[in-house]
Amino acid sequence: MTMLSSAPGGASVRGPVTPPPSASVTKRRTQGGVILAVPALVWYLVFMVGPLVAIFVIAALHWPGMLQPVSFAGTGNISTVLDDPVFWDAVQNTAVQLVVAVPLMIVGAYMLGYYVAQKPPGHRVLRYLLFIPGLISTPAKAMVFYAVLSPDGLLNGALDKVGLGSLTDAWLASPSTALASLILLDVWSGIGFTAVLFAARLGSVPDEIGEAAQLDGAGHWRAMWRIHFPVIRDFVGVVTMLQFLWTLFGSAQNVLLLTQGGPGSSSTTLSFLVYQKAFIAADLGYSQTVGVVLFLVGLAGLLTIRRVFRQNY
Amino acid sequence: MKFGRSWLPAHIFAWLYMVLLVVPLYYLLVSAFKTNDQIFGSPFSLPTSFSTTNFTESFSSAHLGPAILNSMLVTALALVLTLVLAIPAAFAIARTEGRLGALVERVFSLGFLVPTFAALFPTFLLAAATGLFHTRAFMVLFLPATAMPLSVVILVQFMRTIPREMEEAARMDGASTFAVLRHVYTPMCMPGIATILLLNFLTFWNEYLYSLVIIGPDPDLRTVQVALPTLKSLTGTDYGILTAGTVLTLVPVWVVYTVLQKRMQQALVSGAVKM
Repeated sequence: MTMLSSAPGGASVRGPVTPPPSASVTKRRTQGGVILAVPALVWYLVFMVGPLVAIFVIAALHWPGMLQPVSFAGTGNISTVLDDPVFWDAVQNTAVQLVVAVPLMIVGAYMLGYYVAQKPPGHRVLRYLLFIPGLISTPAKAMVFYAVLSPDGLLNGALDKVGLGSLTDAWLASPSTALASLILLDVWSGIGFTAVLFAARLGSVPDEIGEAAQLDGAGHWRAMWRIHFPVIRDFVGVVTMLQFLWTLFGSAQNVLLLTQGGPGSSSTTLSFLVYQKAFIAADLGYSQTVGVVLFLVGLAGLLTIRRVFRQNY
Repeated sequence: MKFGRSWLPAHIFAWLYMVLLVVPLYYLLVSAFKTNDQIFGSPFSLPTSFSTTNFTESFSSAHLGPAILNSMLVTALALVLTLVLAIPAAFAIARTEGRLGALVERVFSLGFLVPTFAALFPTFLLAAATGLFHTRAFMVLFLPATAMPLSVVILVQFMRTIPREMEEAARMDGASTFAVLRHVYTPMCMPGIATILLLNFLTFWNEYLYSLVIIGPDPDLRTVQVALPTLKSLTGTDYGILTAGTVLTLVPVWVVYTVLQKRMQQALVSGAVKM
């Protein structure tokens, strides 16, 4: 994960400046050394790595309920999961969610971030407001959207007001719009916050680059995509990875709070399936098998995104 | 940069998004002062009175008082524990040259790959096995672990910028390793400490799924994020009370953001960059 840890510094924090080590200093600095990192390391291994390993172990167990006897299932869970149409619905929903939400968010946020970084009139207000969704907790966001999208909520009220009453719908309870509503919530809250990240990174790109492009007669559209985008390309990669992971893993919370995966399985995502099978259906082997799938999808996504955004000039 | 006519679409799109962003928030805020009838009838109008009945009602029916205290307690203790663990670890990594230090650093940065969400059930088992299921204590112990990778990576970068002469001078005066950490490194990387405090404050305060499963629904123990969604079913669907409760949970974060706006943005930006 060299890319993850060695990404270039943002506006405030510069990357590490490590002076070259010299032999004599090295020896002295090692004294009393790494032992101070042990408590943090232990903490992290117990609470994060341990449970991660356990996912794989439980995935190989037949464990039909919290207090039920446990037996070894081998690859039994894998075939159960693969034979379950709900799992495939979840795969499809997650794919739709990733394919729609992540590109929309990254492109929208990059353009918005670029706009803010050029310091147009009112950019301070923009920056302040854009950041607000990043502060709001998932339950609070879900409650706002519950009020907005419910049958007598803001959206239907607004549609009625402008004479489009025929378009009103029970957005969260209708199979055709439940998943779309969840994606909308993700994009709504993701764009602003991500735009602030891009704006901050673009703020540290030297002004000369933009000025030189202008002298060469590049329009702002060209300057945005052909000049600035390549400069912060690897940062775009990092942000894309983050949004990918948040969308992939984080959707369980919105689904749980707003639609419970329904109606039917129309808004069940993979990460919600992990939760639902563990804490509602109490089929633990199944749940953790999906957890393994989720982990592998996450890993594959990270590697792909990293490859796509690798600096290539 | 000149903003000529060609920028017009950009202005329009940016402010259009702003409207999309602000309208639900405006709706949230004004609904908190209205009754259901007023919310359905005139969703956009300003409230006719600034009565606080919705707030007191949400406060009492969802037991938000104890929930806010629980959230504060868990957040504060977890923040302290995070610092106690992360500062020495970052110090050790930053000043240890050679393979061991690099290895430890690598182990921490691999933590970004751990999908904490998928590990919810094993973590629940861990809580049960340690006898800390349905306690706030487990969350206080658990949250710092999730914050460790990012906190350590950020602090290491700050500590690497501290010139080693500072330490050598302190050593000359007979300072022990702990004294060097306490009197040289910690004061000098205050900006880094502030960054991880803000970053983790947001994550800890806003944490939902783990709190829901581990602490559970007991009104005396649950955090404010777990208490909030219960308003949905408790009140039928009284949107006034629901939105008032939502506003209440946002107040602490919003106050911190408004006071420390620039700092907070920097913290989150550097947090994302380091990931």
